[in-house]
Amino acid sequence: MYKLSVDDLHKKYGNHEVLKGVSLKAKAGDVISIIGSSGSGKSTFLRCINFLEQPCSGRITVNADEIRTEKDKTGALRVADPKQLQSMRTKLSMVFQHFNLWAHMTVLENIIEAPMHVLGISKDEAVARARKYLAKVGLPQSVEEKYPSHLSGGQQQRVAIARALAMEPEVMLFDEPTSALDPELVGEVLKVMQSLAEEGRTMVVVTHEMGFARNVSNHVMFLHQGRVEEEGHPHEVLVNPKSERLAQFLSGRLK
Amino acid sequence: MFLQGYGPLILDGTVSTIKLAALSLLVSVLLGLIGASSKLSRHRMLRLVGTAYTTLIRSVPDLVIMLLLFYSLQLLLNQVTDWLHWNQVDIDPFIAGVITLGFIYGAYFTETFRGAFEAVPRGQIEAAHAFGMSPWKVFLRVLFPQMMRYALPGIGNNWQVMIKATALVSIIGLIDIIKVTQDAGKSSMQLFYFSIVGAVVYLFITTASNFVLLWLERHYSVGVRKAQL
Amino acid sequence: MIGIFQEYWHAFLWSDGYRLSGVAMTLWLLAASIAFGFCLAVPMSVARVSEKLYIRGPVWFYTYVFRGTPLYIQLLICYTGIYSLQVVRDNVLLDAFFREGINCTILAFALNTCAYTTEIFAGAIRSIPYGEIEAARAYGMSEWRLYRHIIIPSALRRALPYYSNEVILMLHSTTIAFTATVPDILKVARDVNSATYASFSAFGIAAILYACIAFALVWGFRRCELRWLAFLKPMGH
Repeated sequence: MYKLSVDDLHKKYGNHEVLKGVSLKAKAGDVISIIGSSGSGKSTFLRCINFLEQPCSGRITVNADEIRTEKDKTGALRVADPKQLQSMRTKLSMVFQHFNLWAHMTVLENIIEAPMHVLGISKDEAVARARKYLAKVGLPQSVEEKYPSHLSGGQQQRVAIARALAMEPEVMLFDEPTSALDPELVGEVLKVMQSLAEEGRTMVVVTHEMGFARNVSNHVMFLHQGRVEEEGHPHEVLVNPKSERLAQFLSGRLK
Repeated sequence: MFLQGYGPLILDGTVSTIKLAALSLLVSVLLGLIGASSKLSRHRMLRLVGTAYTTLIRSVPDLVIMLLLFYSLQLLLNQVTDWLHWNQVDIDPFIAGVITLGFIYGAYFTETFRGAFEAVPRGQIEAAHAFGMSPWKVFLRVLFPQMMRYALPGIGNNWQVMIKATALVSIIGLIDIIKVTQDAGKSSMQLFYFSIVGAVVYLFITTASNFVLLWLERHYSVGVRKAQL
Repeated sequence: MIGIFQEYWHAFLWSDGYRLSGVAMTLWLLAASIAFGFCLAVPMSVARVSEKLYIRGPVWFYTYVFRGTPLYIQLLICYTGIYSLQVVRDNVLLDAFFREGINCTILAFALNTCAYTTEIFAGAIRSIPYGEIEAARAYGMSEWRLYRHIIIPSALRRALPYYSNEVILMLHSTTIAFTATVPDILKVARDVNSATYASFSAFGIAAILYACIAFALVWGFRRCELRWLAFLKPMGH
């Protein structure tokens, strides 16, 4: 059974078709890297999965529970039942490129907010979870009372990962988690993500980090102009690309 | 007619309000420029006077300052005329209004101009000095035109506040929009209707000012790149 | 000035013998209008940033009218204007409400400060980085939770410096309450002035009292800002 499956997703901005039928299936423990040049639609695809963007058509299933949708006036899909969307979103927690931590809350408040007010667990339990996951992402307890703006980019992204973990989600979505970081801070975040992968968490990662795609993920999707140009195990796809596009992309990347 | 013959009277009041606001604007802009330069001056005394002026005005309500100045100026003038054995001279409420409003809003303009002066990049002033301009030339050719651009939103804001503040001068006996509409309301027994008319006149003036300010802002931001969305 | 104050301090500070007056009255006017204005402004600011024109439009019109006209004329409309209508006098409840100067004053003040506060809060809501709102949605928050836990707490904190300014301006505005026979600080000062002709002392005492209240408010808001706005400031080293 798949934890997350996306079938034939289409997305248009006006007349411009950004996604032309993209599918993805993730079993428990899968780490799927989505790569591609900018404008290939990889971020849009990820954001469509939890309806931060409205796809035009396609089916999304989380744990065999298919999201019921209907067409709205503009032809985009709309979620039929907001309650179902909310509960689906709690199972897919997202880590953003720009962290998107809530600036007016301390680190601890950021992490316990959604578990307490969306999942409805008690404060004590939420705090215990927060501490556990802060330790997991390698941050000392002393950061708990700090505000996000007082941390470095790498620390903020690790807090954001702890926030996602505290939801104890089925699948974690990463939207270019290292692209907004200074080069010397990328390593600390990638290390945390690698340890999560080794624990057997299911992850979908949009990334530019070819090292991560090759060494950590067990499946790579190469998106080009809104289509999956090539996909498979990283050791095949990234070592012996079959399509010319991917070869070009990789040679541009891996000089 | 819907103004029931009070049209000319209300027009008089409106003109009086606009005249009062415009003259007070002039006084307060001058005071504001002086205040800003003293707050940015090298002399400690000048800076202290500037700071005392803005702090005082911004912590005491405008109406209190207005009444304080209006009554005290009159008393002072009476003492002077007594001493000179002249007849008592009554302060014209219009002039009193211009002086007090100008004095009060001068403090707000001081802050506006100070911020605007400081917003002009130092390097450009250094460049002007380096090209051998005299301090006055630097002010006139480089500092002032740029400063105006930064100050414009603040000036617009102060102007809008000042128009509304002119409503207070009817309390010291000046004929303005409020006075004429209240008079019209009382003599026609339609106080509610004419109060609304007064409000509409103010709304009309502030709306018109908004459009002028928008136009000015566009005009003065030549050479400024705007982010396109 | 000291002599005048010694004679009239009771009226200047809290009572003219049979009702609140002076500083106590001014503070009551300020607190009541700020409280009503605040409670109304929070939902209205949310409506003000709505995507739907029929929600945003009426709120825009309200703030435009109340910010585009002087508070003095708004007070006159509430106090003398509305009460001059026969309909109002014929209704027992309305008659009882609008006959009292203080009711009209608080009504006008609250509506006025609410208009300014709504715009301040709406501006603060717009200043919240969109990513934070998106993150809340991505974590499954309902719209109500999103507003209750993320948008409104963040916006109120961001608005604090502008809101403190609005409270000080409202303190200044309470001075026109005397035109509706409310015995605030300025009314006492005017009465003292007409009783003693010591204009400078009478209005000077009023000015000092207002300045003290303003300084106290500024000090209080500074403390609040230190506490609740720490998240916007870069770390001091």
